[in-house]
Amino acid sequence: MSSQEPSITLYTTQTPNGIKISITLEELGIPYKVQKIDISKNTQKEPWYLSINPNGRIPAITDTFTDGQTINLFESGSIMQYLVSRYDKDYKISYPPGTREYYEMNNWLFFQNAGVGPMQGQANHFTRYASEQIEYGINRYQNETRRLYGILDKHLSTNKIPYLTGEKCTIADIAHWGWVASAGWAGIDIDEFPTLKAWEDRMLARPGVEKGRHVPDPHKIKEVLKDKEKMERYGAETRNWVQEGMKKDAKKPGQK
Amino acid sequence: MALQKITVYSAPGGPNPFKVVIILEELGIPYDLKVLGYAALKQKPYTDVNPNGRAPAIVDPNTGLTVWESGAIIEYLIDQYDKEKKLHYDGFAEKWQQHQWVFYQVSGQGPYFGQAAWFNLFHHEKLPSAVDRYMDEINRVVGVLDGVLAKSKSGWLVGDKCTYADLIFVPWNEMIAPVSAPTPEKWDINKYPAYKKWAEGMKERPAVKKTLELQGQIMADAQAGKY
Repeated sequence: MSSQEPSITLYTTQTPNGIKISITLEELGIPYKVQKIDISKNTQKEPWYLSINPNGRIPAITDTFTDGQTINLFESGSIMQYLVSRYDKDYKISYPPGTREYYEMNNWLFFQNAGVGPMQGQANHFTRYASEQIEYGINRYQNETRRLYGILDKHLSTNKIPYLTGEKCTIADIAHWGWVASAGWAGIDIDEFPTLKAWEDRMLARPGVEKGRHVPDPHKIKEVLKDKEKMERYGAETRNWVQEGMKKDAKKPGQK
Repeated sequence: MALQKITVYSAPGGPNPFKVVIILEELGIPYDLKVLGYAALKQKPYTDVNPNGRAPAIVDPNTGLTVWESGAIIEYLIDQYDKEKKLHYDGFAEKWQQHQWVFYQVSGQGPYFGQAAWFNLFHHEKLPSAVDRYMDEINRVVGVLDGVLAKSKSGWLVGDKCTYADLIFVPWNEMIAPVSAPTPEKWDINKYPAYKKWAEGMKERPAVKKTLELQGQIMADAQAGKY
């Protein structure tokens, strides 16, 4: 039946949350179209996009559902759950629902979405984008990010496992990778976490990660982090549109 | 077969464990709430239950599973124990809408409201740009909910009934009033009528009422130095 075939459009930007989805799709070998959302032009707040994701954030996907109608999905964690539940019939990057491993995978998936992502995001804000230097804000969120990295590092090293839920790379690993790969941007030194660093390299060696990370634009954060001048320039550019976006959000709290 | 009590670990304050308690109360699942002080949460034996050293976590003797992260726990409880679909839909589209709102709660509402609480209530010095950042985000997050609820014919986020995707927002909704108290110019619930109706309506549910009273009692005990 044709409606069982994926017909996915991914709305995304080159960010750690965006590449979670392209990497998942590449790992599963699912064809998809990409529509780049230009955050610097606030495209994510345009009405057509809000009708797909009322939260006005990336990523989102549309797909043809089993009933032949279009389904809109947002929130990276729920998109990943959807993709494996619908298309990972061989459990390449997930576990069968209801199993112990499935719930363990979910622990770490939520750990990323509720913990690492928001806290490292705040570290980015105070380290890179804030209009004034607030030392306390920088320390608060860098310390919390470091604490969370410490949990990941210890979990991998004490259990001697290559991936977060064991021998298999799952969506819980994929959810973390883009964030861990840009640790330096938040002012975190990944060398403090050798097991996590080895995991990051192990992930990067996967063809699906390599291919998916360059969507919709090349994944440059690792090169940027090696070059201090580039890092400053990139930070200044980003700072401008982040602050513009914040001003617009503050003016209209509701989005009716 | 009667269910054995599920152990729920909670901190002496903070909303996240009570998201889980609301679901247990709604489903009538027996549980045993264990409140641990913040020091105990960060060390063994608790870190063997949850390596993150945070609450909530559950240990379910009925299945032998330990689950942590409030969102993962709630999805687990619904999967395992809501066989009559009291709090969820299992149709494919509704199922994914429910998951979506759960992730919006745990990654959008919880972390940002929590930071607002920190900078408005607990931090030792006033940092206006940090306060503004997180109070603005409370308004943005509530604005998104209000917009969606205003368009919903039933007044619920998914389908025609109250599901776990609605209930998961309750404990942090409850935090907005105390968190915004120092900056009253930054919060007016009347700007969000659909949200207001939804949030206040859920508080009338007996399971929610009971849970919020329990949370209030634990916080009062904590202030009296019990934990």
